[in-house]
Amino acid sequence: MLRDGATVHRGNLCCEGVELPSAVNTMRHNVMSMKQYKGQNILAIFPAMDLLLKGIRELRGARHENFLVYAPVPHHDIEHVLHRPKSPVRVFTLVGALVGFCTGWALTIGSALHYPLIVGGKPIVSIPPFGVLAYILTILFGALATMVGFLINARLPQLRLTPEYDERLSSDHYGIQIFGTDSDLVRFEKVMKKIGAVDVRKHTGTRRSGGER
Amino acid sequence: MSYHLSYTQTDLDLTQTLNRPKKWYYVALTLLALGVAWGAASWFHQIQTGMGVSGKNNPVGWYLYVTTFVFWVGIAHSGTLISAILFLFRVKWRASVYRSAEAVTVFGLATAGFFPLIHLGRVWVFYWTLPYPQMGDLFPNFRSPLIWDVFAITTYLTVSSIFFLTGMVPDIAIIRDKAKGWRKKLYGFLAQGWQGTDNQWRHYTAAYVFLAALATPLVISVHSIVSWDFAMSIVPGWHTTIFAPYFVAGAIHSGLAMVILILLPMRKAFRLHTYITDHHLENLAKFLLFTASVVGFAYVIELFIAWYSHNPWEQAIFLYRAFGDYWWAFWSLFLCNLLIPQLFWFKRFRRSVPFLVFASVAVTIGMYFERFIIITTSLAHDFIPYAWGLPGLTWTEIGIVVGSFSWFFFLFMIFAKTLPVVSMWEVKEQLDPPSSGKQ
Repeated sequence: MLRDGATVHRGNLCCEGVELPSAVNTMRHNVMSMKQYKGQNILAIFPAMDLLLKGIRELRGARHENFLVYAPVPHHDIEHVLHRPKSPVRVFTLVGALVGFCTGWALTIGSALHYPLIVGGKPIVSIPPFGVLAYILTILFGALATMVGFLINARLPQLRLTPEYDERLSSDHYGIQIFGTDSDLVRFEKVMKKIGAVDVRKHTGTRRSGGER
Repeated sequence: MSYHLSYTQTDLDLTQTLNRPKKWYYVALTLLALGVAWGAASWFHQIQTGMGVSGKNNPVGWYLYVTTFVFWVGIAHSGTLISAILFLFRVKWRASVYRSAEAVTVFGLATAGFFPLIHLGRVWVFYWTLPYPQMGDLFPNFRSPLIWDVFAITTYLTVSSIFFLTGMVPDIAIIRDKAKGWRKKLYGFLAQGWQGTDNQWRHYTAAYVFLAALATPLVISVHSIVSWDFAMSIVPGWHTTIFAPYFVAGAIHSGLAMVILILLPMRKAFRLHTYITDHHLENLAKFLLFTASVVGFAYVIELFIAWYSHNPWEQAIFLYRAFGDYWWAFWSLFLCNLLIPQLFWFKRFRRSVPFLVFASVAVTIGMYFERFIIITTSLAHDFIPYAWGLPGLTWTEIGIVVGSFSWFFFLFMIFAKTLPVVSMWEVKEQLDPPSSGKQ
């Protein structure tokens, strides 16, 4: 059974009774999200987090998933109510670390075999000292890949902010940017105002919004 | 640890550090710039004239430059310790102090990085240490700890810089949103388009955890590898298995002292008493007490090993350290690094700002002497009495060492006025979020 309000790109359930591995689910979410977060939208700004949570619950209750949430700091309650899949950054870290590990061994062993010169009576392929370099490169490549993974997934860097962005959102306000048809937006504008949004603005959405995926 | 603040107040308090500086700031910056200029001129003089203008000689071929290199790498250690390890353990008091500690790491490494080049002499061939096939397809010797060191320090600088800059992105976005004119453009560029969407935060928090997890083993490994520059040789006083943990403990000890030395004037200058409280200072003092005890234990164990080994050269070098030419520096280690911090057992001393400053200065001096004693005495007094000798001390070397301290503090002063010294978003994370008051 699907949980109440569950959709294809939320949690690990893809359809009735079938569970997908988390990474596959994340990929599905990303493919789905390529179609999301663009087009006309409204941005509802809330002065308090409890109002934001109410707004998200309303949208989920209406089975509308095409929305982004803006917050000045991350919060468990927001993550809990959003049910987004795990970040794929961990895959980048793992692959980067493995590549670094292999590069470390390949560089040291390869260069030693390429020019076999005995130094200090030590073996040509000296495992303990070469292991030090493999260890260092594991960390270096892992960190660089983590950074790249973060930038790719968070769609950064962006030299220009999206026109919808409001400067209060980095300080002490929260926002929900809802994408959809005219009728959806009219309906949700009323809902958001009723919940307590201090400002609801409509945008034509000619550019994709920040941090989508 | 709770702050009893609002999000708005936090932003106001922590962005006021970026206001137009007062006159004393420019005076201090000018003095530091003069120190840097003295160091640069001294290095230029050394490059032009040759290594003879330094106090190095035969047998003491590793002297103040290597001492200062190890000192700065050590200073760089506490930043990642405070930031990454305390983050993984979810220690809340970290939020107020970690940004400055990370800056100490990055700037410490940016200072340390000069010294292998200064020590090389022929600095124009520094690239021989890089892993590429040189003459006749010959790569550097990857069995040498000196090459491990090149990799370790470069990796530590890279990972620490990524960690430092990544942690700052949401804060730079806050500054961008409050700034006007050219500042808005500058911080807008530095924030790289951060908007704080749920997806950005999701990937950000995941990346931050992994960066912390990757940086943590570096705290242990980097100074272990630096210690192996010495321990892999057969020189008496160096060839010992205790060196890796001994160096790591010493590095964290000196780094903590430097973090306290940086935090105290910063707290006063920027009126950050609400954020860097006595509770934070007390925790750092306890930390310093712990590392002092570990370092003191290592000192005693080193002496014990020398006695217990029945190795006459090892015993001779420790007798020389204690009663030879540099006896004063040797005994100052026990006083500065072990005994003075023991007063932190008492709450009165942990909460006393003047004593914190005094103890931190003592530890910083003591840890410089520690590296000086380890490096200089072992080379000055090794196996054959015929080869014994003492190094000199020249103005060129003094200029370069003073220049390095000036450079470090110069970088920190610039940082303190251009970027947030306390993490705004992580302090806010610990506050109660804004609420409507409705159930």
